[in-house]
Formats: sequence, C-alpha cells, structure tokens
Amino acid sequence: MSKTIHSALVILICLAARGFAQESPFFVTYNHHMEEPGNLDIEASTTSDIPRAGQRFYFAPYAEFEYGVTAQWTTEFYLESQSSWNDSTVFTGWRLENRFRPLHREHWINPVLYLEYENLNEASRIQKEAEGEAPDVSSPNAVLTPQLDRELEGKLILSSDYHDWNIAENFIVAKNFSQSEGVEFGYSFGVSRPLGTLASGADCRFCRENFTVGAEIYGGLGSTLNLGLHDTAHYIAPVLSWAISDNSTLRFSPGFGLTQESDAVLIRFGYTYEIQNFGSRISKLFGRKP
Amino acid sequence: MKQIVWIMMSVCVFAVVSPAQNPTYQQDPTWHAPAEAASRTNPLASRPQTAAGGHKLFVRNCAECHGKDGTGIEKKHSADLQLPVVQMQSDGVFFWKITNGNTGRGMPSFSKMPELQRWQIVLYIRTLKQP
Repeated sequence: MSKTIHSALVILICLAARGFAQESPFFVTYNHHMEEPGNLDIEASTTSDIPRAGQRFYFAPYAEFEYGVTAQWTTEFYLESQSSWNDSTVFTGWRLENRFRPLHREHWINPVLYLEYENLNEASRIQKEAEGEAPDVSSPNAVLTPQLDRELEGKLILSSDYHDWNIAENFIVAKNFSQSEGVEFGYSFGVSRPLGTLASGADCRFCRENFTVGAEIYGGLGSTLNLGLHDTAHYIAPVLSWAISDNSTLRFSPGFGLTQESDAVLIRFGYTYEIQNFGSRISKLFGRKP
Repeated sequence: MKQIVWIMMSVCVFAVVSPAQNPTYQQDPTWHAPAEAASRTNPLASRPQTAAGGHKLFVRNCAECHGKDGTGIEKKHSADLQLPVVQMQSDGVFFWKITNGNTGRGMPSFSKMPELQRWQIVLYIRTLKQP
C-alpha cells in the first residue's frame, strides 16, 4: 500500500510543472475565465458556520477537480462531506459540472452556460450556491442523510472585465428530482480586482500582484411553489485570494448572513493546486500521442 | 520497487523536458485584430525596465505553449514569437491576441490578467526579436 502511495506521489510531483495559479477569488460566483486547456486544478476547501441560536455548528470539507477540456469547456468533479457539532461526520455526495463558453472573443459581457448534476443528500453543507429556500441546519445528520437530493442545475453566467475589474452575475435554476420542491431559483453577483496591476521583476510571495480582493453576494429566490424571498438565505461575503506560489492559491471568505434563515457567518477556506499539461502528460505516461 | 520508481521518474523527466521550437508554424489567417485595437500603443514603452516583470509573466503563463525562449512548440501548433512575420505585428495586435486568445486553436484568453501585465508581456515579447 505504501509503495502505491509512494509511486502516486512521484507521479504527482513529476506532473506538477510550473504554472501560475491566478484563480478567481470567488467561492460561489463564476466568471467567464475558464481553466486553461489540459490543466488540472485540485482544490481542497471547507465551509463552516458560526451558527445562530438553534442552529448547529458544522464543518464541511470538499475536494474539487477542475479540468480544462478545451479553451471553451471546463469540467469539474466534487466530493463533499460534513461534520456537525455533537453529531456525526457523513459523506454528503458528489457533483459533476460543466461550463461552456460559446463565444470565442472577449466582449463587454461574456456569457457562459453551466450545467451540473448533483447526487447529494440533505446533510450537504458546502453551500457552493444558494437556491430555493434556506437549507435545514438544525436537524441531525441521521434525519438529513437519508433524504436524497438528486438535482439538475443550470446557470447563466455573465461576466465582464472592465479595466482590471471583473464583474460577474450568475442566475441559477435548479430542479430536485428526489423531492417535490418545484423549480428553484437563485443568484450570485461578484466583483474583484487584483491589488497590484504591474508585475515586479523579482519572484516574490507578498507582492501586491499576488493578491486579489473582492466581494460577492448570493442567495435564494424561492421556487415555483413559493417564489420570493420568504424563508431564503442571503449572504454578503468579502473574498481574498493569495497566489502563494506559481501553482498554488489560497482563498478566504467570511460570508455574513443577511436574513434570519441564513447562518450568522459562513467561513470559507480554499487551497488550489494547479498541474499544467495534465492531460498530455497522462497521455504520454500511457504511451499515447498527446 | 526502486526500478519502477526510477523508470517513472525517467518518464516524467522526459515528459517535463519536452522539445521546443515550431519550425512549421503557420499563422491563422482568420485571427485578425480590429484596426482600432491594432493601433493601440504600449503605455509601458517608455519604461523598458518593466520588461523584467513581463519575462516573469511570460514564463508563468506563456512558456508552457510557446517555450521559454518563445520559439514555439510544434505539437502545440504555437507561434514562434521570434519569427519576423510575428514580430512585424504591432504592440496593439499582440495585446489584442493575448487578451482574446484564439480558443479555436487552443490559445486561451488572458483577459483575467491586469491590463498593465498584458502590456508587460508585449514588452518582453519585443525583446525576443532576432537581431
């Protein structure tokens, strides 16, 4: 077993070429910048909360694998889990998402189409998006885990780069096939900007150019059964990302709940490691021409 | 086991040190910058020292496909940036191409980089010009 792990580590280290991980700082909002073709981002993130009275403290780690299939198509796979205070730790499911950028050139507004299949249960807490009504954060995992949440989700992503600012708007439509919740709606908006716009000649960790700051706001808009803001969660969240090396980025975001149904605060951390040319290197390892 | 690790490392080293240069580079005749974009001048032209930052950005973002010396990589169909046919293009054209990419041929858009950093890369690409 240890030999297998050793071999896997050797392969991973070999594959990890230099690449600049200039990732979007957002946790929820997507912009039109796709993963470079052939590159793989491996991300470890967590969502945890500072609960209101009657809510439970939870810690929800998830792993994300993002691959640039082409310059206009990015695919991602997620595995997620959750651990609640004075309760249990449970696996909460997986997600597969695809983003397609239909237009070749940069425009004032760049649309991206997003399609995701989620095979989760109601104990899921990573809150990658907010749609419909607020999730149940009071019930124990034993009650929530058996409740399946198989969902198809679509997003219209609109994003613009104006000088050095990125402005992104996401409109969400989701249909849960496991429960009768109607069609749910949600939104998120984000704006971000790098702290430094001129790159220094030296390699440096703490240069301003390595930091991006911004803010995002996201929430649910109810469903076809109960359209509107009633019983919905909304957050406003400053975001900060730091490119700590050529191929890794650290992100942090505290999200402040705006309604009684929201968690008081959502704390998010993310670490992304980028492997350049992953696809062609794997092809080479198996003797195929890239 | 040592032999397996050794073989794997050799394969990986071969994979990482891939041969550069693209002598067969053909320009994409459909990839044209609009006249307005092509006529833009580099705001950093009077600050040649900022090309050092451009070199750093080039190595991080461009060398993967264009090679560290900018001569292109044949299997990626990427441009040899030293060629006169490339260097004769204006700064504005370079900036537009970096910004928009040519997604149909695998070049991504780099509009996520700040504008000045894209101009720094243009400044550095000029230093690749063959004497």
